[in-house]
Amino acid sequence: MASASSLSTSSRSAAAPAAAAPSFRQRRWVRMAAPLVLALVLAVLPLVLPEFANETIARIGVFAVAVLGLNVVMGYTGQVSLGQIFFLGVGAYVTAYGVQNDWNIVLVFVLACLIPAVAGLIVALAAARLGGLAIAMVTVALPIVGVPLAKRLSEFTGGSQGLSARFADNPEWTGLYDDQWQLYIVLVIGGIVFLLTRYLVRGKYGRAFAIVKGNENVASSMGISPYRYKVLAFTIASLIGGVSGFLYMLVVQYTSPETMSFGHSIELLAAMVIGGAGSIVGSILGGAWYVLVPQLTNAVDASLTALLQGAVLLLVLFVLPGGLASLPRALTRGRRRSGADRGVGAPPTTPSSTAGSGTAAEGSERERQGPA
Amino acid sequence: MGTFIQLVIDGLSTGSVYAALALAIVLVHSATGLINFAQGGMAVLAAYFAWYLTNQGVPLIVAILLSIVFSFALGAVVERWLMRRFERGDPDTAVVVTIGLLTLITGIAGWLWTYNNQQFPSLFPLDTVSFLGVSVSIRSIGTTVVIVVAMVLLQALFVGTKLGLALRAVAINPQSAAFSGLPVGRLLMVGWGLAAVLGAVAGALVAPQLTLTPGMLDNALVYALAAVILGGLTSPVGVVVAAWIIGILENLAAVYVPFIGHDLKIAVPFILLFVVLIVRPQGLFGRKTVVRV
Repeated sequence: MASASSLSTSSRSAAAPAAAAPSFRQRRWVRMAAPLVLALVLAVLPLVLPEFANETIARIGVFAVAVLGLNVVMGYTGQVSLGQIFFLGVGAYVTAYGVQNDWNIVLVFVLACLIPAVAGLIVALAAARLGGLAIAMVTVALPIVGVPLAKRLSEFTGGSQGLSARFADNPEWTGLYDDQWQLYIVLVIGGIVFLLTRYLVRGKYGRAFAIVKGNENVASSMGISPYRYKVLAFTIASLIGGVSGFLYMLVVQYTSPETMSFGHSIELLAAMVIGGAGSIVGSILGGAWYVLVPQLTNAVDASLTALLQGAVLLLVLFVLPGGLASLPRALTRGRRRSGADRGVGAPPTTPSSTAGSGTAAEGSERERQGPA
Repeated sequence: MGTFIQLVIDGLSTGSVYAALALAIVLVHSATGLINFAQGGMAVLAAYFAWYLTNQGVPLIVAILLSIVFSFALGAVVERWLMRRFERGDPDTAVVVTIGLLTLITGIAGWLWTYNNQQFPSLFPLDTVSFLGVSVSIRSIGTTVVIVVAMVLLQALFVGTKLGLALRAVAINPQSAAFSGLPVGRLLMVGWGLAAVLGAVAGALVAPQLTLTPGMLDNALVYALAAVILGGLTSPVGVVVAAWIIGILENLAAVYVPFIGHDLKIAVPFILLFVVLIVRPQGLFGRKTVVRV
């Protein structure tokens, strides 16, 4: 049954330390200082890196936000969505249209969040009605309908030509280059989205999502409506998708119907699973995967990109179901297991802090062993 | 009126292609409880196989028959070596696996035969026949007839043979089937193989029209999934009827509703889907499933 929990490994994140001395990551001063150091590094990095690196990091940030949104609905709530790229596309189009019509940039940002969120809400209200895999089956249509729709609504979208828009040019007083200024905006907006999402999935709503993911019947018996929480998760995912669309427009400055093609939708899902489902760090890794791997494979052989993506996705699902984010844990677990074989130390027992989600997941597994 | 009947018959033929794909999805779902997003991709691979054989000088009909054998083996191999591990686990993970498989198959086809459109020879002549004053394309009729025959044969297999009985037993309750001595694993392979065959038939029939590309059936997959939801996962007849309704409606909408036109007709099943999901979430013909906690 090890593979069954593949997408839910995150619920075991607290399994690492056993008893004795607190590990490095648990020491108080490390926990206090680490975010500060991270913020400091992120603040300094754009100033010292070359332009190309800044642009690449900014693109990674854009897609990390998109993957994070996908993670909310898929990694944390367990509903497969193939439509995330559609909301990125809608956000990008709204941004481009607003900028071209000289709307206030704050208003553009709010609209770029709200319009995809409303679209996502409508889709989820219908799709989540049918339990199980219906969300996957309905959302697969979003990119496939979205591309011809964008071509058709050419007065808003510019048709197949697409729209380009330039905004957030670097103001005079900063003395920064454009790429640095853009990266700072991506880091600030992306950072806020990541922080908010982190609080969301670790709090009350996150626990509700985890129970819906683990077992819908248990959830409804606890007074948690699976339908309502699925719709909520999907709407939040669409909203975050809209934010990533805004950032996409900021960094790439151009969007066309191709932005939300079916292929990109699948790549985004692959990036999320490879990065690590249900993991904040995994979302960043997923964004990096989405941006960097096509660059690498294009350098080798462009026709191999899809083949490699598919092969790696399957490989990850087989050997590392928690994605790249679970790699360190998998390695330490392997080491500890070989230690246990020699009679030193004991394997970790049950997770401590995330007991709720853990038991829910286990309950569902046990139930599935019975006759269907 | 003439155009209308022509549109309906053309719609019936594209609807049959969706129906075959949708039926394959239902077949896999009833056997293993998961949705195979790679069903279209596997059919495309079979179509490429047939296309490759015809380029080597094999007659078209033989090539298609060989590609059917090939896709049966492909389905069985995929079930045994890829899906088996994920079947009794989380269905969402299994779905992601099939999406990975779709990417992989698309990648393999694109790598071996490029992403350019290839001409696939048509099994039927491109002429039209006049019937009661209406000209109807032979290809549309032929496609519909072949797929209906394939579905009837499949139904006969399921209802009338011992193998079919065993397949149904495994679909209903794998544990009990195993206790009564059925080789569950091998039967699951057969089920996946049959589903892949159905897809391959559809792929070979639609390939001349769409021209062969690795993503040829991506749109058809969306139609098929819409048909599966509309018809209800538990009702094969409902799925086929829904696929025909979708095929006919989108063809009519493309011509008679100016805003939709040919490029947006894929939105038709989607709109239909919304209405049905709101009004009748178990599908037009499906029954409500009750789960015991």
